[in-house]
Amino acid sequence: MTAALFSAIVCICKGWRLDGACEVTPVLEKTTAMNLLYDFYGSLLTEKQRAMLELYYHEDWSLGEIAEHQGVSRQAVFEAIKRAQATLTDLEEKLGLMEKHLKRQKLAQELLKRLETMPEARSIAEPYVTRMVDID
Amino acid sequence: MAVKIRLKRMGAKKAPFYRLVVADARAPRDGRFIEEIGYYNPLTEPAQVKIDKEKALKWLNNGAQPSDTVRSLFRREGILQNGEK
Repeated sequence: MTAALFSAIVCICKGWRLDGACEVTPVLEKTTAMNLLYDFYGSLLTEKQRAMLELYYHEDWSLGEIAEHQGVSRQAVFEAIKRAQATLTDLEEKLGLMEKHLKRQKLAQELLKRLETMPEARSIAEPYVTRMVDID
Repeated sequence: MAVKIRLKRMGAKKAPFYRLVVADARAPRDGRFIEEIGYYNPLTEPAQVKIDKEKALKWLNNGAQPSDTVRSLFRREGILQNGEK
């Protein structure tokens, strides 16, 4: 996890919106943070919101391109994406599934790293760590 | 017809990974693209970026439009200079 990505996630977790209020967050980290949030809470959005977020963050289309494709105005796309983002960040604020997931990943990595000098212990622990990480 | 350079999301759930692809602006989102010119993996420390600079510049010079995210990546990698379109 890069420092910039982490700060983007912290920024989102603090509820700062993604439409310029958080200028320090570079655009790429924003995209990745939104994609992660989408993976956790996407199923709670409406079909339409999911379609727009996927075009915007998975396919990297511009607002104008999405508007043309969906047959709505650019402003409507902007508003829909903004609302969907607000829903995702709100859910994260309340449930914190992404933050907990990232913490668990980090702990698992640290654990395996600590065990590098103990090959025997590592070989016993690794399958369990892998299974635990896979649950996430 | 306009050609775009986009950051296409790949990777498993909760593990985003991106490919830099050159695609027709009107191509439907069925994954078809003209050429892959690199990748970006944000989850490693530091983030892994690999871009075929020669191909990137070739496409830019031929009028391909990078998306905002790709433009930002190109700036970070020194393929585009700050202020350059």
